[in-house]
Amino acid sequence: MAQDLGSGDGPLNAPSWLKWAWVPPALFLAVLLGAPITTVLQHSLEAVGNFDWSSTMRIAGLAAVQALISAGFALAIGIPLAAVLSSYQFRGRALTQALVTVPFVLPTVVIALAFRGLLGSFLEPGFLLVIAAHTYINLAVIVRIVGATWQQLDTREVTAARALGATPFRAFVTVTLPQLRGAILSAAAVVFVFCFTSLGVVLVLGDSSTRTLESQILRETSLLLDFPTAAMTAVLQLILVTVVLLLGARASVTRTRSTPVLRIARLPRPRRLRQRIFVFAIAGAGVAIVLLPLVSLAFDSIRGQDGWTLQWWQSLTSLDAGTTRLASPASAIAVSLKYAVISGLIAGFIGVLAAMSVLAHRVGRAVALVALAPLGLSAATLGLGLMLSFGRPPIDLRSLDLLIPLAHSLVAVPLVIAVVLPTLRATDARAATVASALGARPTRAFFTAYGPTLRIVLLAAGGLAACVSLGEFGAASFLARSGAPTVPLQIMRLLQRPGDASLGVATALAMVLVIGTVLLILGVDALGRRSLAR
Amino acid sequence: MRFHASKLTIGLVVSSGILLSACSSNTESSGPTTVRLLAHDSFVVSQSLVDQFKKDTGITIEVTTGGDAGSMVAGAVLASGSPSADVMFGIDNTLLSKAVDADVFSSYTAADVNSIVPSLREDTAGGLVTPIDYGDVCINIDDVWFAKHHLAAPTNIDQLTSKQYKDLLVVEDPASSSPGLAFLLATIAKYGDGWTKYWEELNANGVKVSGSWTDAYESVFSASKGDRPMVVSYATSPPAEIVYSEAPKPSKPSTSVLTEGCYRQVEFAGVLRGTQNEAAAQKVVDWLLSAPVQADVPLSMFVFPARSGVPLPKVFTKFAAQVPKPMQLPASDVNSHLNEWLKTWGQVMGR
Repeated sequence: MAQDLGSGDGPLNAPSWLKWAWVPPALFLAVLLGAPITTVLQHSLEAVGNFDWSSTMRIAGLAAVQALISAGFALAIGIPLAAVLSSYQFRGRALTQALVTVPFVLPTVVIALAFRGLLGSFLEPGFLLVIAAHTYINLAVIVRIVGATWQQLDTREVTAARALGATPFRAFVTVTLPQLRGAILSAAAVVFVFCFTSLGVVLVLGDSSTRTLESQILRETSLLLDFPTAAMTAVLQLILVTVVLLLGARASVTRTRSTPVLRIARLPRPRRLRQRIFVFAIAGAGVAIVLLPLVSLAFDSIRGQDGWTLQWWQSLTSLDAGTTRLASPASAIAVSLKYAVISGLIAGFIGVLAAMSVLAHRVGRAVALVALAPLGLSAATLGLGLMLSFGRPPIDLRSLDLLIPLAHSLVAVPLVIAVVLPTLRATDARAATVASALGARPTRAFFTAYGPTLRIVLLAAGGLAACVSLGEFGAASFLARSGAPTVPLQIMRLLQRPGDASLGVATALAMVLVIGTVLLILGVDALGRRSLAR
Repeated sequence: MRFHASKLTIGLVVSSGILLSACSSNTESSGPTTVRLLAHDSFVVSQSLVDQFKKDTGITIEVTTGGDAGSMVAGAVLASGSPSADVMFGIDNTLLSKAVDADVFSSYTAADVNSIVPSLREDTAGGLVTPIDYGDVCINIDDVWFAKHHLAAPTNIDQLTSKQYKDLLVVEDPASSSPGLAFLLATIAKYGDGWTKYWEELNANGVKVSGSWTDAYESVFSASKGDRPMVVSYATSPPAEIVYSEAPKPSKPSTSVLTEGCYRQVEFAGVLRGTQNEAAAQKVVDWLLSAPVQADVPLSMFVFPARSGVPLPKVFTKFAAQVPKPMQLPASDVNSHLNEWLKTWGQVMGR
């Protein structure tokens, strides 16, 4: 893919170190992904003989239908939102963008409970409720991935089409949509994969029609303790998911044209009345969809049996004091923050390097594809594989308190790549050519073209990875750990015992997570905007 | 008496990344000893007891949690022989034989084993583990709902298939929930081969299946936010309702327990084979069965102590149900048939 860098404008003298950008991500993956997968593969071989193919494929089929419909709904709601958020400047835009991301990083258990509270009275657990929750959670993926490309589009083409008499809709279909197709397809592939491998939501909100291979792996691992079969199921899931992601990646390569970009510091405000109505209706609907379950959660956190109370919030620091539950609920916040920062740094660094090496080197492209694997590797399998490889002597990373942030980074790296890559691709490489022609060294020329974009995406990616870490539950729940639990684990513990105080404090803690996430994402967005306006 | 793997040695091993166990096993360490206690997420004891133990023996207990009971045992089975902890607590009778088959434990039962209530005393898997606590999974009943609807609550689980209790029960999926599995095992223990017929009738009578205890108890059970007055939960849920409720605490729970058709879960502790801390690990097992820890167990984990003669807190003696004839299945039966039972259950329930 070396020609990508200078596409259309002659060869670019790429800096020589760029050729080696793939090395750190490759090492990271070889150790943290290679070792667990090898362990899992070894186990799976034992199950090849007596594997129950028919029921496994039936579950895979059910999960595929569910994931397809979920992805469809997420696109239907996410694309208009992405359109509004990446085409117009309006009051509340930053907040809207941050809010949309929140559901994605909240622990699925919290979302499932919020949905149960909101829709449970007229929707039975099952297909529809699972689809609603999946759509809700994955809106952010569509808005972020599609929006990132959309903001980089050259608006002059649309202006030209409109000047030639095209209606806004026609201009969208003939000019904008073809340029977005790659981003849309890769976002859809990612959402499909998330829904296909969903666990928390299908356990709490699902029924027989919504089983996934992931829930099957959980049953085989922690109930039947049949590791070969679990490993075999995990391998099967990994293969299916890899195919989908490869298709998505291929689509994004072949459909995305490298367009010269006119970078604008500010988006236009909606001027005409119809534009305003369009913008505010869609942004308003998006905010309402995101907020409804969260508001019901917020009410639950200040409501007791006999009316309003602040007791759950006050108990955050005192519940379980003086026991080996180590930790008051509040102290879990510090643990989560620490992991979030470490994961954000690791995943941001590794993910951005992987995305950059895609542009520079064939090997890099392969590395980036491999980096997508954690998306499809079940969280439980990943946790198990990591624990087997690094959670016991001779290499006991758990004693270094690193295993959980490393697992979180591994889960976050694919998202970082998914966010960074379309943006890098859409960046105008001609600036580098110009800089080279003016005598800049390759490194300098590279940063002239990619520097501003990189700064933005690095921050955004690190922030997103930190958010993933804040809400991650699957792998962390499987890793044995000493010390205080993370916030999602603490919430889960509280939910697993009776009494209104347990539930009340759990909702208060969930609200802390919601608020923290909103603040983090607002911060990331503000930083991004500052470097954009630079 | 061998005390190796002091904090210093562990630090060295980790920081240099080299397996030093061969050398360190010859080193007599006089420093403080740490025992890593692998437990499930629900494990709690009072911190003061841990501190007292350290004062008495010099042993620091470091609690390591490994997810729910199933995930913890799965991890321990996979790490059998080179464990990441020294003692495991919280493995129950459903999973015990899997761990025993995988040779997870080193032979040891607590010195005080004769203080255990007689019905549990023999449950040591041939001297590998020590029973620490027990609890019963039973149908819980929302008394307020039944009073309001002028309906008599059922007195045994046979009645749950009768018309007057149609659409009133919620259970958990045995494949994803531990109380759900316990209730399935109770019906198998009670009805033998007739258990599938019982579940067909339950199904026809509108039983609802939740994916988790949390969902069933918090969202579907009428004593919480739902509309069904019967749920599969624990015999100790009523006192837990009071302890974990908003102040001012209610004087009595609004729920009660159907004490027939309950399944008994026993939780065990054992020394993990391959520990570098055998002697200290054994002391921790003794400690778990000691009178002070056993007295702490009810209010910490809402289970009954395995030791006999331990005074129970008032909220327990008043509101926790004592189950006269709990159901149990031999661990080896559960081990060999579990997969088949779950499959059959799935077919019967159309899941």
